[in-house]
Amino acid sequence: MTAARWARWLVCVLVALTLALPSALAQPSGNLVIAGRDGVFGDALGLATTWFAEQNPGVTIELLRLPYAGLYENLVISLRERSGAFDVVMLDDTWAPEFMAAGWLRDLEAAGMTINPGFVRSALDASRYPFAEGPLYAVPHVGNVLLFAYRTDLFEQYGLARPGSWTDVLAAARTISERAEGVHGVVFRGIRGNPIVTGFLPLLWAHGAEIIDADGRVAFDSPASVAAVETFLALKAFAPVGVEVYNASEVRDALQRGVAAMAIEIWPSWIPALDDPAVSEVVGLVEIMPAPGQVAGPSPMLGSWLLGVAADARNPQAAQAFLEFVTSDEIQRRLALEVGLPPVAEGPYTDAAVVERFRWYPAQLEALQNARARPRIPEWSQVESILGDYLQFVLIGQMTPQQAVTEAHRRIESALRR
Amino acid sequence: MLHRSQNLTRILLLLPALVLLAALTIYPLVPVVYYSFFDYHSVRGFEGFVGIANYRRLLGDLFFTVSLRNTLVFALLATSSQLLLGLAFALLFNRPFRGRQLFVPLMILPMILSTMVVSAIWRAWFHYDFGFLNNVLRAIGLDGVRWLFDPNIALYSIALVDLWQWTPMVFLILLAGLQSIPGEYYEAARIDGANGFQVLTSITLPLIQGHLFLVALLRTVDAFKLFDKVYALTGGGPGIATESVSTYIYREGFRYFNVGTASAASIIMLAVALALTLVYAGRVLQGQRR
Repeated sequence: MTAARWARWLVCVLVALTLALPSALAQPSGNLVIAGRDGVFGDALGLATTWFAEQNPGVTIELLRLPYAGLYENLVISLRERSGAFDVVMLDDTWAPEFMAAGWLRDLEAAGMTINPGFVRSALDASRYPFAEGPLYAVPHVGNVLLFAYRTDLFEQYGLARPGSWTDVLAAARTISERAEGVHGVVFRGIRGNPIVTGFLPLLWAHGAEIIDADGRVAFDSPASVAAVETFLALKAFAPVGVEVYNASEVRDALQRGVAAMAIEIWPSWIPALDDPAVSEVVGLVEIMPAPGQVAGPSPMLGSWLLGVAADARNPQAAQAFLEFVTSDEIQRRLALEVGLPPVAEGPYTDAAVVERFRWYPAQLEALQNARARPRIPEWSQVESILGDYLQFVLIGQMTPQQAVTEAHRRIESALRR
Repeated sequence: MLHRSQNLTRILLLLPALVLLAALTIYPLVPVVYYSFFDYHSVRGFEGFVGIANYRRLLGDLFFTVSLRNTLVFALLATSSQLLLGLAFALLFNRPFRGRQLFVPLMILPMILSTMVVSAIWRAWFHYDFGFLNNVLRAIGLDGVRWLFDPNIALYSIALVDLWQWTPMVFLILLAGLQSIPGEYYEAARIDGANGFQVLTSITLPLIQGHLFLVALLRTVDAFKLFDKVYALTGGGPGIATESVSTYIYREGFRYFNVGTASAASIIMLAVALALTLVYAGRVLQGQRR
C-alpha cells in the first residue's frame, strides 16, 4: 500500500471516529440507582426503567420501591450524609423545600437538561425553590391533585345538586345519612399525620384560612380556621364509625362498596378501581370534581411527586437522561394507559385514547392547572404532623375547634422558632 | 497464688463479652448522651449547647409525658397479663392429656409470626363494622366495641394483641420451669395432705420463682420498647392515646430530625428501663444467692 493510500485510510478512520465518539459518549451507561415509591408509583417506575434500559443497553438499573415514610427517611439520611447511594430520587412535593434548601438536589437547568415544555405550570412551579421562581431542582413525575368524589345516583335520588360549597357538602351528607339506608354521607382519612391534614387543607383554604402567611409567619389562629375545623367536625357526624383511624384503604373500600356518598379527598390513582366491576359496586356512579369552595374559590391541593438528581449522584449523566425520558409526553401517555399514572404534562391529558380510558381526566387537568401547593417551608413535615395531632383531638372530642386551633398555632410557632 | 490465677481466668473469660458490651452498647450511648445537651438538628447541624433544656422541655411536654405514662401502663399491663395467662397455660400443659402434643405447636404459633403480620390480622379483627371480634359480640347480643378509635380503649386493645402474640413465650419458659421440678416434692406434699392451692403456693411458685422473674424481666423490657404495634395499628392515635416513648422518639428523631430532643427522650427512656431491669435483676440474683 502506498503512502497516499495509507493517508486516505487514516483520514477516513479519523472522520468516522470524530462522528461516532460524541454519540457514544452521550449514550448513558453504568449503574443507575433510583429510590422510588411502592404501589402504583413503583409499578410505573418499574415499567419506565424497563423501557429506558431497552433503549440504553449500557445502563443497568437498580430500582428501590419504598413505602412513604421509609422513602423519606432513606432519602434524608442518605442525602444528608452525601453517601452517593442514589442517583435519581423520587420525592413528595411537600419534601421539596427541605431537600432543595439543603442543597441535596442538582439544578437541572444549569446542568443542561431538556425540560418538557408542556408541563402543567403548577406542578413545575413546585419543582423550583423558591417556589415558582428559583432554580429547577426536580421535574414533576406524577400529576397528583386532590379531588372530590360524590355519588351521582344518590344525589339524583334525593334531589341534591352538585355541591358548590362546603355548606352544600354538609347538607348533602346530612340528607343522605338520614335517608339512605346503610350509606354514610361522607368519608375521609382521619388517621393522624399526613392523611388527616391532606383531606382538611382544601376545606381550610376554602374558608379563607392559612397556616403560613405570605410573609412566612404562622397565621393559623383565625376565625376562618376555627370555622373550617368546625365544618370538619360537623362532617364527622355523617362519616362511618371509626373514621378517626381511617386511612386510604378504608376510604377506598367504603367508596367501592357503595357505603359512602362522598369522599372529601380522592386521588387519581384511586379512581380507576371505582369503575372496575371486579372490585366496585358503584361502576359509573361516582363523579369526580375539584374540591368545592366556600368564602374562597375551589382550592384543589397539589400532591405531585417529583423526580430529582441527587447532588451526590454517582451517575448524574444517566440520571438526567432517565428524567428526560420518563417525563416525555410519549412515556407519560404510555404510563397513564398501562398503569393509570396521572400525567404531568398537558399533552397526555388531551390524548383521545387516554381520555377515553379515564373519563375524569378533563376535570383532573382543570384541577391540576388551578392546584395550590402546600406551604413551601422546609419544616412542613413537622407543621403537618402538629396540625394532624390537633385535628385528631377535635375529632375524638378532646378539644374544641377553638382550643385546637390556638394550641396548634402555638406549637407550630414554637417548632418554627427552633 | 491460685486465687490470683482464678481471677485472671475469670477476667479473660469475661473480656470478649465486655469488649462487645463496650463496642455495641456503651460506645453508641456516649454520643446520645452528648447530643441530649445540644440543640442538634440533623439537617441544620449543631445550634448550640443548651444544658438540660431538652430534658426540661420534654418533661413539660404533654405529648412526651403522656407517651411515658402510656408506655409504663402498657408494659405493666402486658407483662402482668401475659404472666398470669402464661402460667395458667403452663400449669394446664404440665399434666398429661390427650392431644397435648398437638396443642403445644398451635399454642406457640402467634409468637412465630412477625409483628406486622400479627398487626394486620388484628387490625382486620378490630374493624368496627366487619371485624371478627365485633361480629362475635353482636352475635351474642352485645354492642360492637370501638377497639382502636376510642381513646379509653385503644391502648388496652394493643395490649390484647401483645398478649396474644407473646403469652406463648411466657408459657414455654414457665413450662420448662415446671418440668424441672422433681416429682418427689409433689409426692411428699400429697403424703402430708397438702391441697392443690397449697401445692401451688408452697412448692410450684417458689420453685419457678427464677423463671417467673426472668420472663417478667424479658417481657417488661420488650413491652417498654413498644413501637411496631402502635405504628401498624393506630399510628399513636386516636389523639395521643397510644403514643409510646419509642414512637415519640421516632417522630422527633426521624420525622423532625430534632436529634437533641430525641436523644434526651432516649436517655429518659433508658433510665426508666434500667430502673425496672435493676429491680427484676436484683430479685433474680437474690433468688440465686439463696
